[in-house]
Formats: sequence, structure tokens, C-alpha cells
Amino acid sequence: MTLTNQELPAGPETRRISTSKAMVEALAQVMESDERVFYMGEDVGAYGGIFSSTTGLLDRFGPDRIIDTPISETAFIGLGIGAAVEGLRPVVELMFADFMGVCLDQIYNHMAKIHFESGGNVKVPMVLTMAAGGGYSDGAQHSQCLWGTFAHLPGMKVVVPSSPADAKGLMTAAIRDDNPVVYVFHKGVMGLPWMAKNERAIDEVPVGEHVVPIGVANVVRAGDDVSVVTISRSVHHALDVADRLAGEGIGVEVVDLRSLVPLDRQAVLSTVAKTGRLVVVDEDYLSFGMSGEVVASVTDVDPSLFSAPPVRVAVPDVPIPYAHALEQAVLPGSERIEAAVRRVLGLTG
Amino acid sequence: MTTTTGASVDAGSSTQPALQPELRRALYETMVLSRTYEEAILREYHADKGPGFDIGKGLVPGEMHLSAGQEPVAAGICAPLTTDDAVTATHRPHHLAIAHGVDLRAMTAEIFGRATGLGHGRGGHMHLFDPQTHFSCSGIIAEGYPPALGQAFAFRRAGTDRVAVAVTGEGAANQGAFHESLNLAARWRLPVVFVVEDNDWAISVPRDAATAIASNADRAAAYGIPGERVGNDVEAVYAAASRAVARARAGDGPSLIEVHTVRLWGHFEGDAQGYRDDLESAAERDPIPAYEATLLADGVLDDAAVAAVREEASALVEEAVAYAKESPIPDPATATAYAFA
Amino acid sequence: MSDVLFPELSKEEPGAVGVVATWFLRDGDRVRVDDVIAEVQVDKVAADVVATSAGTIRLVVEEGAEVRQGAVIATIG
Repeated sequence: MTLTNQELPAGPETRRISTSKAMVEALAQVMESDERVFYMGEDVGAYGGIFSSTTGLLDRFGPDRIIDTPISETAFIGLGIGAAVEGLRPVVELMFADFMGVCLDQIYNHMAKIHFESGGNVKVPMVLTMAAGGGYSDGAQHSQCLWGTFAHLPGMKVVVPSSPADAKGLMTAAIRDDNPVVYVFHKGVMGLPWMAKNERAIDEVPVGEHVVPIGVANVVRAGDDVSVVTISRSVHHALDVADRLAGEGIGVEVVDLRSLVPLDRQAVLSTVAKTGRLVVVDEDYLSFGMSGEVVASVTDVDPSLFSAPPVRVAVPDVPIPYAHALEQAVLPGSERIEAAVRRVLGLTG
Repeated sequence: MTTTTGASVDAGSSTQPALQPELRRALYETMVLSRTYEEAILREYHADKGPGFDIGKGLVPGEMHLSAGQEPVAAGICAPLTTDDAVTATHRPHHLAIAHGVDLRAMTAEIFGRATGLGHGRGGHMHLFDPQTHFSCSGIIAEGYPPALGQAFAFRRAGTDRVAVAVTGEGAANQGAFHESLNLAARWRLPVVFVVEDNDWAISVPRDAATAIASNADRAAAYGIPGERVGNDVEAVYAAASRAVARARAGDGPSLIEVHTVRLWGHFEGDAQGYRDDLESAAERDPIPAYEATLLADGVLDDAAVAAVREEASALVEEAVAYAKESPIPDPATATAYAFA
Repeated sequence: MSDVLFPELSKEEPGAVGVVATWFLRDGDRVRVDDVIAEVQVDKVAADVVATSAGTIRLVVEEGAEVRQGAVIATIG
């Protein structure tokens, strides 16, 4: 099921804020009404989160609910699991998605498997938040997305908001979900004042409670000629490309998946059925990941929907380089997306 | 007997306060039930693996890690607990599950992979989850420690004096999760009791080949918590556990208890143990005949009582095994059920 | 008519220069008390600017332009 959602509904009152503020607002609103919710991680207290994920929350809720941890991801993510098993609703932050290596066992062998191994008798209603993404020269160990890896491992939902409203809506939905939910926020969509300006990181967000269903994609921009299916920061680049190509009479439909698990495969099928031409953009590594999965969503059902071979734009299978020019060359930016759109349309010589 | 923070002691049974006969008998009964159970699983596991040994074959397929010799840890640690307290265990969980009161039939059905098992056949012998008794176990070394912290955190937050007991092996004490958990539990003063079952062997590697110091109880000092090392004596374990549990309930934070126990059988069933140079001496360290002899000498038991305990254990165990065997095999069409709530 | 001033983020250096990193409202928007108007930054320190009066906002400086602490960045009337 897809939602065409170019403008937020007129009903609820909205105003413009950044993605990070929207995320914090969701947390604050849920924590206000549900005592069981607490947020735990490194530097989430007085610092407000390295990427502004908890700004102001310590002052509002105190150190019993906004908790700074030692640098012990295995221990504190495991603590979140045990607390969730006993009825609390923890939101636990992994500072960078790249740090999953030091604690992956707790995440994929425990958090994600306990419900299944217990035959449904034990629930783990936990949210694992993490900052991801590159573009500011933080190097190979601090620039990854890795959502494909989390999505590949069964038992955890994976949500990746691109817009301020979705950041708020998916955070609320994630906390309320009785399953473990990995919530990945790209640093470049947060609207941080100390990163390169991103106009699309500020947008209208409902003032009151706002919930976005997990597992439902969003057609952010309708078009008839090419489908660009993507997630996170790449949605913004895709929209920039769409705006530019509109001037040439090319209609680019941009589909923001918003969730990877569950994956809205029907949304992928619908858009490809409409345009016949697919570009998948993924800031995670190319091989064995999200982009291949999106293509398989179509080929598993009806490859004849394609009037041209689909094109994938992703980070090649290399660690992300440090030097600015090198990093920009591997990231799936606007130029590479535009080239892919032209290629799938057969416009390149 | 009480340790100052960080000092470890070797406690022998001669310095324990005298326990009531009813409690001593109860400890003995728990150990006999546990051993009887493991002997039944041993029998069932090997009954249909042949010819030769095909690990994936039979009514109880897969790996099997049995706890013969380690009964004093389970009986002693779990006796001060109620089923409101949590226990996290390892790949070798049966003795702890039994001592903590997990339903024998549901547990056995899970080990046999039946639809009536604790996990409806999804978990198996290393992944037993019982919300009724807050018991869980997992097959990843040392990784049962962190979730126990969370259970303790939730218990304290709810204003109760419930505790979480986290059990792992001496090999696991070299894993990162062990150290992170001790530090965090100590710093946050969580109501946790950390237990290390030192059975001398991490599969085939002896403790002193892997561990830089002589006793993991000494590691407690590095985290500012009390650490005690006791022998495979159920009453010594009980005494240490009572102290640690009382500390935790009083809000005084975590403790570490290391029990020098004995692994009478292989790391897993099918383990030829060719690496092992202590098999004969290990058999002589069997804790059950030793405790039985003590209780007979003290007049807590007589021969008739011993026979009665064994018969009762046998009856319970065989009934659970029969229940498992009669239970339905899960429908393959439901294989993907329970991925999400 | 009231002035919205660039807050004093650097106490040691009263004349410090920073930027309006983000305007959350557009020129001519209606604003209410407590609305977050902008995010400003001096070096690595950022802060929100919150409306203390209601009315129509007129933006005086652009995003990214250098502004001295204490300078008028908007008016609300």
C-alpha cells in the first residue's frame, strides 16, 4: 500500500522544524505519556546526543530517564533487552551504525531472536537508534549506512526516515511497536548547524501526535517516466534530480521506502508497473544489500514490468574514502542519480 | 566468611553455618532430580544417532550440553531465589532451569522440538525461555550477562527487591561481555548476582591455559564488587549465594561468585575428550555421592529416603520425557511464525 | 514592534560573530510566543531562538551571513 503524500494533510497543525528536533519531539511526547519509555546511550544526557538526538530531554525528564552509559555497547544494549523483556520500553542509542561490530551479538542473536526462539512467549519492545551516513569526510569507520546488514538479519524491523515529519512519525511508531525496531537516522538529514546546509532537513511537522506506519512506503513525488526508489538522504538527492529533469520534460517518480523491514514490495511493484523503468539508489554498499532486494521484489513477481534493465546507484564495494573528492565519487549523489535516470531512459549514447 | 570488597576467599563446607535438615534434603533432592534428568536426556539423545554418530539424527537432534557434576551450582544458587527472580544461563542450562522451577514437561518438549515446548520447538535445548520463572538461556558465550542487567534494572525501577542471577562459565570470563557487564552493574549498583561455573574446561582448553589469573573471583576487585570462590559443595554455594542475594535485595549492588565445579561428561555429547587428562579424578569428584554420604552420616537421610528421592526423581523425569514424546511435531507450514509479534 | 536579537552564545567574547544557521519561518509568516524561529551558531555552539512576542515576522539577515552577537536578526510586529 502506498500513500501519496506530497503535502501533509491540512488537518493537523504543522510548523517547520528540523529532523533532529522532530525526532526529539516524538520522544518527548511519547515519554510524557508513557512512564515505561527511557533513552539510554553514550552522550545522550547533558550533551544531548552527538547528532542532536536528545537535545533538551535531560532537562525535561531527568537522569533516570535520559541515561548516559559507559562505553560498553554490549552491556547496555543487552541491558535494554533485559529491561524490555521485563516490560519497560527502552530506546537505546548506538552512537554510529558503524559501531555495530562491537555489540552485534546482542543485537542480532538476542534482541532479534528472543521472540522467535521463545515461540512468541517473550517480547522485546525495544528501539535501537543509530546515526548513519557520510559526505563530510568522517572516513571508512564513521560514514557507513549498514541498514542492509540489519535488514538482512531476521527478527528486527528497520526504519529509515528521510524527512522531519517521518522522523517524528516513525519514532512514535517504533516505540509503540512490540518488536525490536532499528531506527536509522542519517546525519545529513538531521539539519545540524555544523554540517553542510540541507534545505530538505527542515520541513513541516505536525505539532501534535504524529504516527507513520512501519512498512509503508511514500510516493514523495509522482511521475510517469522513471521510478527512483530509495531511502534516507538519497531521497533528497532524488528530489533535486527530479526538479532539474522536470525542466526537460522528464517525469521522475520518487518513492521513499521509509522502512526496509518490513519492505513495502507492493509499492515497488506499483511504481515499476507505472513507469517500467527503475533506478534504485542506496547509500549502503552495492552488493548483497538493499538495492538488489528492491530489484528482486520486481523480478520475483513479474520481470516483464521492466522496459529497460534496472539501474542501481550505490556505494561501490569499497570502504568509504576520506578525501572529499574521493568520498563524493563513491557516494550516490545527484550527478550519479541523474546519469542513472538518463541511462534507464536510454538517453545516454 | 564475608568478604571485604574485592577480596576473594576459598570457602569450604566446614565453616558454613548449619542448615536446617529440610533445606539440606531439598538441596539433595534438587541435585538428584537434575542428575536423573541429564541421565535421561543422555539416554534419549544417543538412542537413535546411530549407526556411528549422526548429530542431526534422532528425536533430540543437534548439540547437547549436559550438566552432570555441576548440580551444586544450580541447587545452591537457586535455593535463595523465588520464581520472581530472574536467571540467565548458558548453553549448558538444564540444571539451572530445573533448580529454578521451570516446568519440566514444557522444557523437555522444547528439547525434543515439539509444538508443546517452551518455544513451540523454535528454540531447542540452548534457547529455553520461561517467562513464568524469568528464566532464559542462550548459546553465545558470556552474552547472557548483559540482559540480566536489564532485568535487574527493571526490577529495581519497579521498586521491588527482586534480583537477577547471571550464570556463565570460566572460559566466558575472558569475553568482553563479562567485563562490560561487571563494570556497568557495579557502577549502576544493579541487583545482580554474577555466577561463574569454573568446571576447569572451556571445551578442550583448561582454565590456566586461557586465563591470566588464578581465580575469576579476584576479577571482582577490578570492578569494586565482592568476589568469592567456593568449591563444588552445595552448602558452600548456598551460603555464598544467600549472602550475594541478600546484598542485592538490600540495594547494595552486585557480587561475583565463582564455583569450582566439575564437568563429569564431555563439553557436548559426542565429545571424545581425548584432550582430557583428569577424567578419572573427575569421576571421584562427583558431588552427589559425596553429599549423599554426608547426609546419611548426619542422619538427615536414611537408605529408604535415598531410594524414595531417586524414585520420585525418576518418575518426574520419565513422565516429562513421555509427555515430550507424545507431543506433536510442529507443522512445517508454521516455520516462519513468531518472527514478529 | 519588537526586535529579535542574536543571542549571546559566547560570554567571553561579547563581540563574537556567528551565523543564523537555519530560519524555521519565512519572511512574513505569522509567529506565536514560544515558536522556535531560528537556530543560530557561534563556533561550535548552537542555540534556538524562540519568539517572545506574537505577530508578523520580518527577517533582517540571511542564513549563513555573518552576524555579530546582539545584532537584530528579525522583527516581530
